[in-house]
Amino acid sequence: MHKKLIAVAVALGIGVWGFAAEAATPKRVKVSGEIIDTWCYLTEIMFAEGSAHHKCAIWCAVGGVPVSIKGKDGKIYMVLRVEGDDTSVANPKIVSIQSHEVTVDGDLYVRDGVNYLLVNKVADDKGVINLTHKKHGVVPF
Amino acid sequence: MKKSFIISAVATIALSSAAWAADGWGIKNEKITRTEAKVVDIACEVTGNCVANCGSGKRQLGLLFDNGKLVPVVKNNDPFAGATVDLISFCNKRIVADGLMISHPKMPIFQLQFKRAAPKGKPKGKWSGANWFGKEWEKANGKPGGEWFQHDKRVKAAIAKEGVLGVPGLKPPAQ
Ligand SMILES: [Cu+2]
Repeated sequence: MHKKLIAVAVALGIGVWGFAAEAATPKRVKVSGEIIDTWCYLTEIMFAEGSAHHKCAIWCAVGGVPVSIKGKDGKIYMVLRVEGDDTSVANPKIVSIQSHEVTVDGDLYVRDGVNYLLVNKVADDKGVINLTHKKHGVVPF
Repeated sequence: MKKSFIISAVATIALSSAAWAADGWGIKNEKITRTEAKVVDIACEVTGNCVANCGSGKRQLGLLFDNGKLVPVVKNNDPFAGATVDLISFCNKRIVADGLMISHPKMPIFQLQFKRAAPKGKPKGKWSGANWFGKEWEKANGKPGGEWFQHDKRVKAAIAKEGVLGVPGLKPPAQ
């Protein structure tokens, strides 16, 4: 973009980022991490990881709360599709791998501070590895 | 967290519903927020892959603000439930959303407590509580929606398959 145009856009208070967002193209990514319940994890209401929280994470996934992957890179990736099924509310495949440690191949879109991930393939599924119940019991109840 | 505490918290939230105004939940980064925005299918808005009626309840929904910012609505006011059931009838329409904007540094999210239609240039619709997941579940299952998670067939099937801890054969410790 021409420097002058950017200067004008900034002066007018027009978000220059807006132009880039229109032509959103995904980035091919490989993400490794734990499948988590987005709500419990981000609100820090309770201990929301691993075996201790598995039952609650199932409730939330079936209840239609978005499911995310807590990447080993520390980022949260909200899952919008799993292997050709582009439903993301109580998706049965996602429910079946809740709390598991996985590696997935996907398309990543970043918008307004959220990482939206379309999972093309669950390349590896190790099951539940994070045995948090040893320390926390079952949370909640 | 104790069961009694959670039940009393849910009861408190239900009682306060009469006011049509959101309560704080004591969540870090939360801000009680009443705002107008358009309800959109997130996948459609972000990726351009659009289907009829925002996915008819099968796709996650978000609030698209007039400044172009998109925030996912991840939770309603029922225990352990999302907000899709509350929002799907407002697909691609403007609403007043009343709830909590949670500006977590890793990802912003919205928790919906009340909603009403807000068509441009027309009178606003009636308020309703964001508790339609429980209502719909109750209609479909003939049991009280407040404890849907204790009776839901999909939950039972998942727990039967992998156990409470998610590890087949592993029993939870006595509490
Ligand atoms: Cu939870």
